Amino acid sequence: MKNTAPAIKIDSLAVRYGELRVIDCFDLQVARGERVIMTGPSGSGKSTVLKCIMGLAIPREGSISILGHTLDGRRVWEARRSLAYVGQEPDLGSGTTREAIERPFGYRANQGLRENLQRLPALLERFNLPQTLLDKEIPTLSGGEKQRMALVSAILLDRPIILLDEASSALDQDNRRAMADYFRQTADITVLSVAHDVGWLAFSDRVVEMAANPDVAGKDEDERAG
Amino acid sequence: MNELVDIGFWPLAVAYLLLILPLAILLLQHVPILKETGIAVVRMTVQLLFVGFYLQILFRLNNPWLNLGWMAVMISVADGSILRSCRLNIRRFAGPVFLALFAGTAIPVLVFVGPILRRPGWLDAQYVIPLAGMVLGNCLRADIIGLGSFYQAIAKGEKAYHQSLAQGARLHEAVHPYFRDALQAALLPTVASMATIGLVALPGMMTGVILAGADPLTAIKYQIAIMIAILSGTAVTVFLAIWLTAKTSFNAYGLLDKGIFRKKHEQ
Repeated sequence: MKNTAPAIKIDSLAVRYGELRVIDCFDLQVARGERVIMTGPSGSGKSTVLKCIMGLAIPREGSISILGHTLDGRRVWEARRSLAYVGQEPDLGSGTTREAIERPFGYRANQGLRENLQRLPALLERFNLPQTLLDKEIPTLSGGEKQRMALVSAILLDRPIILLDEASSALDQDNRRAMADYFRQTADITVLSVAHDVGWLAFSDRVVEMAANPDVAGKDEDERAG
Repeated sequence: MNELVDIGFWPLAVAYLLLILPLAILLLQHVPILKETGIAVVRMTVQLLFVGFYLQILFRLNNPWLNLGWMAVMISVADGSILRSCRLNIRRFAGPVFLALFAGTAIPVLVFVGPILRRPGWLDAQYVIPLAGMVLGNCLRADIIGLGSFYQAIAKGEKAYHQSLAQGARLHEAVHPYFRDALQAALLPTVASMATIGLVALPGMMTGVILAGADPLTAIKYQIAIMIAILSGTAVTVFLAIWLTAKTSFNAYGLLDKGIFRKKHEQ
């Protein structure tokens, strides 16, 4: 029987960092192929929602389902094979860009995907990245290049759901448009993103506004997590 | 060859007179470690007197159980020292690191005393105690580097580590680069000292054996065996220390448990 469950379903999510309530009673449902953008003031927990979906932060209460499977410590590993995540300041690890792009294909979960690397030259061109960048050491890349390389890496993994956390924040207008155009043309990919810029908002099917959290107002999320 | 010459009380006092040189340099150059140097000299003297006294008893009794007990005490002290230096939770990791140190010390020392020296008693105090001390000292240094760099690299490079998990890496795949780098960092000093041994400095054991009156060729054979024993011991202890502690350091989601680090007020 075909699985028709929503791509992402979040029920009554609550997250605490120590005594601080970061997210309280948050619900969200994202249909397959839908492009949803989360906006809201700094500290409202947008990035934390994405981290919880990836299993990179653990909720105190509530549940998250990915393609109908409830996320827990046992299923998170399988769920990550349906998800890709691009952060605001992606850390691609050490070595050259080529090594960073190829590294995930060495993981057992991605073993059958190695031939996707054949799409790499076309994707680089699409996102205005020169081929020569592949031989550069990662620390020498600019913020925008790192963001686009992380996006290329996520696309190559062929995940049905992509989570973008301010993933276009360091991009110029042309590259933002290239990114939006790509997702506009790939209707089968579900995109849940955190974004502020107007161009990106226009690309979405739906905007979810997260309320300011009085417990954490004025603190950014890294500050709270640390 | 001559017998080892004992050092009398007054000649030893001359060695202490030598301290005038470093203390004068520290004082004249206003290097602010005068107090620490003084305390270190006193501690060294008291500790070595205590060890000398204790070793005399151990050597006289030469009881395998007592020797094993002494090794356990040395390993426990090293265990606490490693975890304090790495700022890791002592209560949580004392057991796994003890096991790692024990294996890293016992395996090469028993091979040294047994098949290499072919002593009838494998726990003979004259061999086991000094050899275990040498190997354990190196295991301690390697574990501090290995454990410290493994956990610090994951904690500081959390984004890259999380990125691996997000890209589908299983726990062992995500930690592998950190494990590999930690092993390299821990073993590199031993490998480097093997590569330059004899050229840059005469090693401690070789010097000791020569001073005791042995032929330099015999001393070299001892030194070769101890260097291999140290490299084996450090590789085993660092591998086990990381592997055993990592078993309880990550939650079911593969995230590093921050509770493994000692809290500031515990430091």
